[in-house]
Amino acid sequence: MSTVVKKTINFTLNGEPISAPEGTVILDAAKREDVFITNLCSSPKLKPFAACRTCMVETVVDGKKELVYSCTHPISEGMAVRTDTEETDRYNKACLEMLLVEHPLDCPICDKSGVCPLQDNTDALNLYNGRFEIQRRNEPSIKTNPIIEFYLNRCIMCGMCVRICDETQGVQALDYHKRGYKITIGTANEEPLDCEFCGQCITICPTGALMDLTSEARGLASMFTNTETTCNFCSWGCTVKLETKKGKLIRIEGDETFDVGINEGNLCAKGRFGHGMVQNENRIQTPLMNVGGEFKEIGWDEAIQTIAERITATVNRSGPESVAAIGGEILTNEENYLLQKLFREVIGSNQVTNLNHVRAPYVNAFQQKCFEGGIVSKPITELAEADVVLMFNTDIPSEYPVAGNSIRKGAIFAGTDILIANPRNVEFRHESRTEVRMTYKPESDAAVVNRISRILIDNNLIDSAKTRQTIPNYDALVQSLSKYTSSYTEEVTGVSDATLVQAAERLGQNADRFILIGNDILDTGQGEAILNALLNLSLLLQYGGEGSINIYPPREHCNSQGVNDMGMVPETLPGYQPQNLNQPNMVADLWKNCSQGTIKMLWIAGEDPCHSSSQASKVKDGLQTVPFLVVQDIYMTETARMADIVLPTCSYAEKEGTFTNMSRHVQRVAPAVLPEGQARPDFEVFSDLAQALNKPFTHSSVREVQKEIETVAPSYKGTFPGKKSAQWIPTESGSQPEFAIGDEGTAETPSQDYPMKLITNNHMFHIGSYSHYAKALVDIGPDCVAEISYEDSQAMNINSGDRIRIQSETDFLDVPVTVTDRTTPGIVYVPKNWVDVPVNKLRNGHQGLIPVRINKQD
Amino acid sequence: MDTPDNGNTPEETATETAPEEKKICMDTVCKILDSFPSRSRRYLIPMMSKLQDEFRYLPEDVINLLMSELKITRAEIYGVISFYHQFRVTEPGKYIYKLCYGTACFVKGAPIIAEKMKEKYNIGQGETDETKLFTLEFASCLGNCGAAPMAIIGEDTYGTIDPEKTIEICNNYTL
Repeated sequence: MSTVVKKTINFTLNGEPISAPEGTVILDAAKREDVFITNLCSSPKLKPFAACRTCMVETVVDGKKELVYSCTHPISEGMAVRTDTEETDRYNKACLEMLLVEHPLDCPICDKSGVCPLQDNTDALNLYNGRFEIQRRNEPSIKTNPIIEFYLNRCIMCGMCVRICDETQGVQALDYHKRGYKITIGTANEEPLDCEFCGQCITICPTGALMDLTSEARGLASMFTNTETTCNFCSWGCTVKLETKKGKLIRIEGDETFDVGINEGNLCAKGRFGHGMVQNENRIQTPLMNVGGEFKEIGWDEAIQTIAERITATVNRSGPESVAAIGGEILTNEENYLLQKLFREVIGSNQVTNLNHVRAPYVNAFQQKCFEGGIVSKPITELAEADVVLMFNTDIPSEYPVAGNSIRKGAIFAGTDILIANPRNVEFRHESRTEVRMTYKPESDAAVVNRISRILIDNNLIDSAKTRQTIPNYDALVQSLSKYTSSYTEEVTGVSDATLVQAAERLGQNADRFILIGNDILDTGQGEAILNALLNLSLLLQYGGEGSINIYPPREHCNSQGVNDMGMVPETLPGYQPQNLNQPNMVADLWKNCSQGTIKMLWIAGEDPCHSSSQASKVKDGLQTVPFLVVQDIYMTETARMADIVLPTCSYAEKEGTFTNMSRHVQRVAPAVLPEGQARPDFEVFSDLAQALNKPFTHSSVREVQKEIETVAPSYKGTFPGKKSAQWIPTESGSQPEFAIGDEGTAETPSQDYPMKLITNNHMFHIGSYSHYAKALVDIGPDCVAEISYEDSQAMNINSGDRIRIQSETDFLDVPVTVTDRTTPGIVYVPKNWVDVPVNKLRNGHQGLIPVRINKQD
Repeated sequence: MDTPDNGNTPEETATETAPEEKKICMDTVCKILDSFPSRSRRYLIPMMSKLQDEFRYLPEDVINLLMSELKITRAEIYGVISFYHQFRVTEPGKYIYKLCYGTACFVKGAPIIAEKMKEKYNIGQGETDETKLFTLEFASCLGNCGAAPMAIIGEDTYGTIDPEKTIEICNNYTL
């Protein structure tokens, strides 16, 4: 937090003089000094609670002795703290003894065995001979949901699960019920759990009362082999702990160790329960060749040889620019680097791109403009200390669930104020004192931002003179904002001006500001205009305001950032180094060039454009026409089925490298299990191909590739091997701040026949093309369900559970619907992740939100 | 903010899910909620007390409305309800049979009176008989130890009762 500087307090701990910031509780201060105080219910992520009563210490202030609970008692000047005195031990032991009377002590079959705070504390207090008669509880475990087992006999009522569900996750699906001797934790009336299934309660439970039902093993967690790696779903880049036993991936846990990763051990449903996609019988086992529509298993040598021959022939006949590649947003940096090197240096083709770039080529430009404007953005680890967070068109619990955890923590401990701008009334429960909600009409994103910019200038919330001095085209910006009067904006956006003034005033204050942008804006058809508006707003705050502004480009998948960083784009080399384009840019209009025959061979590394692209029919047409298609993937996707050669590659749990998250943290990916079948890491495939093309790569290991990346992309220097999740910093920044002025984006005029707008995005439990292979994720959300508002449901007499037909200009689909207040009138929301509900086919190339109409199906 | 229309939706679900039960008048509920300074969770307990005074228990629809109005979850509201014995979520019988289970009454035979009630009406603590005439509740101490064991049925107090007397008294109450 920029605004508050905390006083330092000096005190003694067991005689040693120590200092810590004001407000620190004794337990946390001791933890920093590596002094262990027994405790069962405290976590740095949660508010102090003092449920377990086992953390008593002795304090002496001004000669007055007191016994206090260290988890809630703050340090004070001159305080003398003693831990483990005879007296405190006696009290702490008594409380623990009581817990052990009832606790089952079934440690050999307990998930927490060996990593159990109850065991640690029992040992720390030498509590080997309890005085009381043992009365074990023996109730059956509750398995009413597919993911989380409640074995409440082990519960010690510390309330950690209840608190993390409430404070960190904002869901509050669990609470205490009844009281006294009958007290229990659980859902209302023991109904089946219906929540975000983040599983945070499992990780934080100190005793194994809550267990992961998706895990095949029971007991002795301390004997599992742990591999720390980076999650492969969304672009937030959480550090996950893959737990393996005898070569099998057993489960995924968050790592709550201090300073590991960016997520403090928080994970979401996908990250924690998505492990079913790794060791799965549906994985592609061997290289496959398409012979007249049938896939025939072939060996790796034959596959590589065939591809090499085909590349040589195509280059000789049609030139190197007729061979193109799509890099993978889920491939590592090193793999993407090698793929572009293979194409640029070995094949001589500059026709490399990635689907993020094909969909929104302006995102990299936006990032570059931010750097030029001096907006480098802090590491995302500081989000929890933000003063104000603007969530712009992002449904945080679905898009970046773990970001939501940090923001909620900030709201509790750092007083973060929350601004939410979204066309939907997205849910975000938090404990912040201030929430400004701007629920605007679809496609009026840019107007909302531009009006806020204008209010900043008009109401003198920023130092206009200073900004004018620094940024040459300031007057042009003022000119371009002139049309955003209060009445005009109110009419276009439907948001009251008072609300926007409130938001602007909050942003204008001296503060650390974070702006998170949702991938939804890329679907509005005005992505560039919206990003430009946000850039202008950020520049105004950067140069005219005090504090900091941090803004991150929208990225969807785990390495959507890295694939661009590594030069899998035709315009720039790795590290955004400029290059002389000596070839026409054929991948800018990739699918058309495939269909027209200018691209003769296409290599797709780990992507499924048939399903994910917004121009499905164009993609399919292109892929059918292109003479030779190579697809590397771990599952037989729709795209892979159209390939001439399919190469089985490794999932994130089987390979080495780094992913770069959306805030540019370079983080390690480490292998935990052996590859499935004959699958090989993409790294080896690219190396073998270079060898077969007679220009072998010199590097023999991932580390060597990393060294090379450090030399060609200077901003990546010092970030490898990605263990400390360092953020890469642009080598040059702040050289030429400039407002982006031009197209401001306008909403389409609503059509009479298709009066509603369709918004699609990733579902909370799914992303990309693999999450549907994880059984657990399918179990908790088996069906695709559309959402409409109460108002629309009443007008059309539709109830939750009905089926509706969504009709666009080009296509239609039928889907069950639920009526919710998350969706605003005029909008129908359908998650895009179900293969059997391909919402993208309704779009079919249409720019902007898709105009649709809906009808109730009988 | 776009929240659902307060009056209509819960009323509709009420008619759908519980056709036989008395329809809950949502206007009354709203009137009670409006008698508080704001619809904030800090008034949850007094709100529930007043609502229970009105309906004699907290019907599901009222709970749902409270959840959406006060922005609290189902787990939390049931956590509060189950903490306080006085809150009921099922419709009680016409008369509440409050049997004193304080020390004096306990010693003087409250448990055998409870047994008799179980035998005659098949109701235990917190339960309601089939005809919905009585709901049996245990009280900690009703402050009339001199007349132990004692009970309060509806509004009437009965002292120095025994199992036989209890049945005689109960027979005076009809639906």
